[in-house]
Amino acid sequence: MKDICLGLVTANEEIKRNYFLMKVALPDGFTDPLPGQFVMMRIAGLQDPFLSRPLSIYAFSRSQKGCMIELLYRVAGRGTGIMAGLIAGSEVEVIGPLGQSYVVDPRRENIVFIAGGIGVAPLSLLAGHLGETVCREASSMTFFLGARTAEEIVGLELLHKYCYRVIVCTDDGSMGEKGQVISVFKKEMAKFPSAETALYACGPRPMLKALAIMVGGKYMCQVSLEERMACGVGACAGCVVAIKEQAGAMAYRRVCADGPVFDLEKVIWQ
Amino acid sequence: MSKAVKNYKAGEGMKVNIAGLQMKNPVITASGTFGYGEEYADYIDLNLLGGISVKGLSLAPRAGNPPPRIMETTGGMLNSVGLQNIGVDAFIEEKIPFLRKFDVAVIANIYGESYADYAAVAAKLDGVPGVHALEVNISCPNVQKGGLSFGADPRAAAEVTRRVRAKNSLPLIVKLTPNVTDITVIARAVEQAGADAVSLINTLTGMSIDLDTREPHLKSITGGLSGPAIKPVALRMVWQVARQVKIPVIGMGGIMTARDALEFMVAGASAVQVGTASFVNPRSGVEIIDGMQGYMKKNRIKKITDIVGTLKT
Repeated sequence: MKDICLGLVTANEEIKRNYFLMKVALPDGFTDPLPGQFVMMRIAGLQDPFLSRPLSIYAFSRSQKGCMIELLYRVAGRGTGIMAGLIAGSEVEVIGPLGQSYVVDPRRENIVFIAGGIGVAPLSLLAGHLGETVCREASSMTFFLGARTAEEIVGLELLHKYCYRVIVCTDDGSMGEKGQVISVFKKEMAKFPSAETALYACGPRPMLKALAIMVGGKYMCQVSLEERMACGVGACAGCVVAIKEQAGAMAYRRVCADGPVFDLEKVIWQ
Repeated sequence: MSKAVKNYKAGEGMKVNIAGLQMKNPVITASGTFGYGEEYADYIDLNLLGGISVKGLSLAPRAGNPPPRIMETTGGMLNSVGLQNIGVDAFIEEKIPFLRKFDVAVIANIYGESYADYAAVAAKLDGVPGVHALEVNISCPNVQKGGLSFGADPRAAAEVTRRVRAKNSLPLIVKLTPNVTDITVIARAVEQAGADAVSLINTLTGMSIDLDTREPHLKSITGGLSGPAIKPVALRMVWQVARQVKIPVIGMGGIMTARDALEFMVAGASAVQVGTASFVNPRSGVEIIDGMQGYMKKNRIKKITDIVGTLKT
């Protein structure tokens, strides 16, 4: 039986304007998350906001004292806005880890991550997992991280630890290269032979759609998607995305239970 | 730190019998909010529930509506899932074997887009071991061709009831829509047509707008409102219907706590369904059962049936 864990917020810091890093201490029974998985979280005992919020797991550690998840999130609406006000000592209810993780193919020599804004969160966990658990050399991993401005570039510290190359870009040129992350990746694409490379991406829908148009079918690429959720466990069918099935058929698949990680070429962008 | 998991085993006094459907307690998880049971089996012991009303089943599998399908609202949520489901055949083949492992009443919620559809789905479920009752959705507001027209018209509602009754001998529950002028008229019509019980309310049609983009939050523009926001409306309708029909009433609409559930029973419900609450807390159903027993003990109520319809006016 899976637990609904009562977690204790130990830190909730605004690292950049509207971007927060929350650390939550959880009981031992919490399962080690795989990269790409998420949790449903709500403030304990509070019925407003009504629904729990899905949050990507950014980092995880386990020690003798128990375990700890780190959630890197952007204040996007009312729910995350209220969450941003939590102080150390607050209690939260956590369900998870949930969803399907990224699949790692050991035969692929190059790993390329492409993140837009807060999309860095699940990819950072994946990069850390590949380095520490799968013993991937940092030199095999390249991370493209883009955002509109320098003010929205978060998560760099861990990336530098995991990856040999971290290429930062901003739309306005206020940090790193000027340009959108997809175009910056495009310029370097020739360095990554498609047969030896695995791409992992997360970010806003328009970015992922642009990536799909650019690399569709050429690279093995997995993306993790975001959608409004109610249950998080596959019961309500509220968070679906259109996915190509065999023989050209389309089906709505649940981001929470069938995803959030999907093969890029199977996603139908509407 | 972990939330205590108590032993929620229901006592004898919690037993109910709804038109031949025996349940160990009066708490059923509502259709569309509990999948086919398996989605929540990791979080709660399904044996503890009175019943599970499964996701609405149609004759053929159904893709459902395009996203976005849900939106949080004050004290609840809107959905326009559009009855996405695997179809009745796949349900019998793939889902029933799992549900049969549990000692829980399985209620097959069905719907159709024509009288013939309803009859066909009902016929397929007749005599299927592991299915204990039918709940006929004549009320889903999401599907333009179906739901609303049957459930809002007493003659159509009665005709659906008769067609299903003719094809299936299980206890027959008809689930009513609140999106009508007088719900008691529909309740009486399905009672006369052979329904063994009625369940109410389904979601209230609503909408939500993003002011900045001036677009609706749901792709389907409108959706069904559920959650505690609708409880007063649901309670009022259960009370009205319970006074007008002789068959049992199953009450639902915004039940979050044991007290909510008991209020529905006082208003005249013989059993209750817990829906949206499961999204907020997967263990809502069993926690409500436990809370109801606590209330009974404290108030020296021996049988839960003693509380039904005891509203003082």
